[in-house]
Amino acid sequence: MNTTRTRLALAATVATIGLLLSGCSGGSSGTSDPTDVSPEGEIVPREISWLLSRPADGGVITAMEQIADEYAKDHPGFALNLITTPDRPSYIQKYETLAAANKLPELFDTDATPFAQKLASQGTMMDAEALLKDLGVYDDYRPAALNYQRFDDGSLYMVPFEFQLEFFWYNKALFQQAGVEVPKTLDDFPALCTKLRAAGITPIALDGQDQWPLERYMAYYPFRTAGPDYVQQLKKGDAKLSDETGEQAVQWLSDLGSAGCFQDGFSSTGYSDAQASFTSGKAAVYNIGTWELNSLATDALDPSVRDDIDYFTLPVTTDSVTAANEYVSPSGIGMAVNAKTYDPLVRDFLSFALKRYPEVYAATGALSPTTNVQTTIPDNATPLYQRAVDQANDVGEKTAMPWDTQLDPTSNTRLQQELTLLLQGEIDPDEFIGTMDGVIADNGPKAFQ
Amino acid sequence: MPMLPQRSRLSVLVFLLPPLALYGIAVLLPIFQSLFLSFFDWDGISPMLFVGFENYVRMFTGDTVFWIAFRNTLGYVVICLVLQLGGALIVASLLTLLRRGREVVKTLYILPAVISTVAIAFLFQRIYSLDPEGLINQVLEFIGLGNLQNAWLSDVSTVLAAVSVPEGWRFTGLYMLIIYAALLAVPAELEEAAKLDGASWWQTFWRIRFPYIRPVWITTTIIATTNALRGFDIPYLLTNGGPGQSSELLTTYMYKTAFTSTNYGYASTISVFVVVECLVAVGLIFLLLRRKADA
Repeated sequence: MNTTRTRLALAATVATIGLLLSGCSGGSSGTSDPTDVSPEGEIVPREISWLLSRPADGGVITAMEQIADEYAKDHPGFALNLITTPDRPSYIQKYETLAAANKLPELFDTDATPFAQKLASQGTMMDAEALLKDLGVYDDYRPAALNYQRFDDGSLYMVPFEFQLEFFWYNKALFQQAGVEVPKTLDDFPALCTKLRAAGITPIALDGQDQWPLERYMAYYPFRTAGPDYVQQLKKGDAKLSDETGEQAVQWLSDLGSAGCFQDGFSSTGYSDAQASFTSGKAAVYNIGTWELNSLATDALDPSVRDDIDYFTLPVTTDSVTAANEYVSPSGIGMAVNAKTYDPLVRDFLSFALKRYPEVYAATGALSPTTNVQTTIPDNATPLYQRAVDQANDVGEKTAMPWDTQLDPTSNTRLQQELTLLLQGEIDPDEFIGTMDGVIADNGPKAFQ
Repeated sequence: MPMLPQRSRLSVLVFLLPPLALYGIAVLLPIFQSLFLSFFDWDGISPMLFVGFENYVRMFTGDTVFWIAFRNTLGYVVICLVLQLGGALIVASLLTLLRRGREVVKTLYILPAVISTVAIAFLFQRIYSLDPEGLINQVLEFIGLGNLQNAWLSDVSTVLAAVSVPEGWRFTGLYMLIIYAALLAVPAELEEAAKLDGASWWQTFWRIRFPYIRPVWITTTIIATTNALRGFDIPYLLTNGGPGQSSELLTTYMYKTAFTSTNYGYASTISVFVVVECLVAVGLIFLLLRRKADA
């Protein structure tokens, strides 16, 4: 009996104990001045840590490991400890708990979320714009890559390490089989799906399990009809989904659902299953970023579909206020520099690393967040690879921000849940709008005051 | 009971104190801390704001997700209990009839309880899958019921059962073992006497065996109920509460409130509710099963 109670009580409260104990120390701001990017003093090599959320064998980590080794050669005693948690929800939990305990390491990853903005306003993070300017690398960065990291007020506290373009990859053979063409406007999507379905083809492969891929579709329509400002207003409660812009967007999503655009059971399909559905020639369209170039534009791709794969960018709408070359071009989760632990060593290492990084990273075949290097095209690439890389130089100024980095976390969680229900036809557009406007009104203004 | 000499009573106390202190620190303290936190609005990094009973008012009157999660939790508990206790009782009874291979059967049944939760979640993800076709849908196709194929984890009407079954299945073996041990302790002469008097198998079971194992049954029911009430990992890993809130449990909702919304105050309020709910459940079980025993 006691053990039972012990266990259940433990389960019920385990979430709060550590936090409360550490809460006493939480909230205090760093000792350094976030704008003092060039502190005086001697460079004393030590181990520094970077808490990050990136694939363990991905380009960023591989490049940074190499750079840290190079730096350590001239600075004995230096080491860069990379602690990665690629699963984003787990990472966010870890990072927010450490922030509450005031135990964040020298470097840590974060998106430009309301939580990060609170940390910045408490002086926990170094001013990245000042830092990059001081290191003389600010102008090397693609403006779009930096803008993606900025808070609403335009301030910059995170450094980007990648640059990605999100495309609609499609299978030309399947399109031909169903007698359809690349959609000219977003409104062509429902009809496209209906025809593909009729031909027995899964129209769009979607990783519904991770939520964010579906949430991209929420961002597309308003980005075309009202521009990037819409979500900024919506999240604060200054715009509503019941406005014309919102209503059109929700109706479009609902139409995607009734046209059966996504595979049956999409909400429980994972990342790799969705991708496999496309690369095995089962699904006709797959919406993903250039981080998958290695799987989609090299000979790693199944020979049976290799020559049939192409891509198109986010279609416009008839009265589009954003240009065709403006779409989702994220620079990934950014790296923040902890102001509390910032010292001459951290500065010196960052100076070395950020100058060296573009070259090392571009050599892995990835797009650098800077414009001063050429991406090395891998030997096993298909012609599509080069085309996708070149496309980066043609990206317009405005970028469609993924909504999961914009909304407050409570509204975001609810939006992801309701989107699945809307697309599955469990709720109608009016219910969706009513619920979401209510949730955002309850949580948004509070989070962004 | 013989009185212990003064010295050994003291040593008993000395040995009892550390576990008691540990219990206090590991269990009671966090409960009180949660209770304390539930009166605040706190995101972990800003100063804590005292809000009185606001969180409780919101939970009981303003939060539809909370009530959906509560309803789902009850459904989850019922399915788990039927599978765990019902399944355990049937298997244990059949085991007593078995003459050979009992150990093998027991081991096979207890196996899922020792496999890691994450592995089980992955396993069931595959079993339920529609595209690529998982075990259930393959079997349906094979036996000619292809029209019943379904994305079990995406359908709002099947998802709650789908996330409850792995949890129920997983611990059936464990409870089976406990009940089996209790059944073995039923005196054989009692059953023989009943049989001589002409009692059927069912009568022997219901009138002799079951009353005999009732104390163990109560304990098992309590363990299973509280375990199910705090079930978290498998639903979280399989669907994360979705689609919509169809498989959202109080525990997954509490977790999201704390670690996604960073609303530690409100999450603590939910956790206080979970503690109270568990205590009420234990009380109810005692009341119902004891009364039956007295009747």
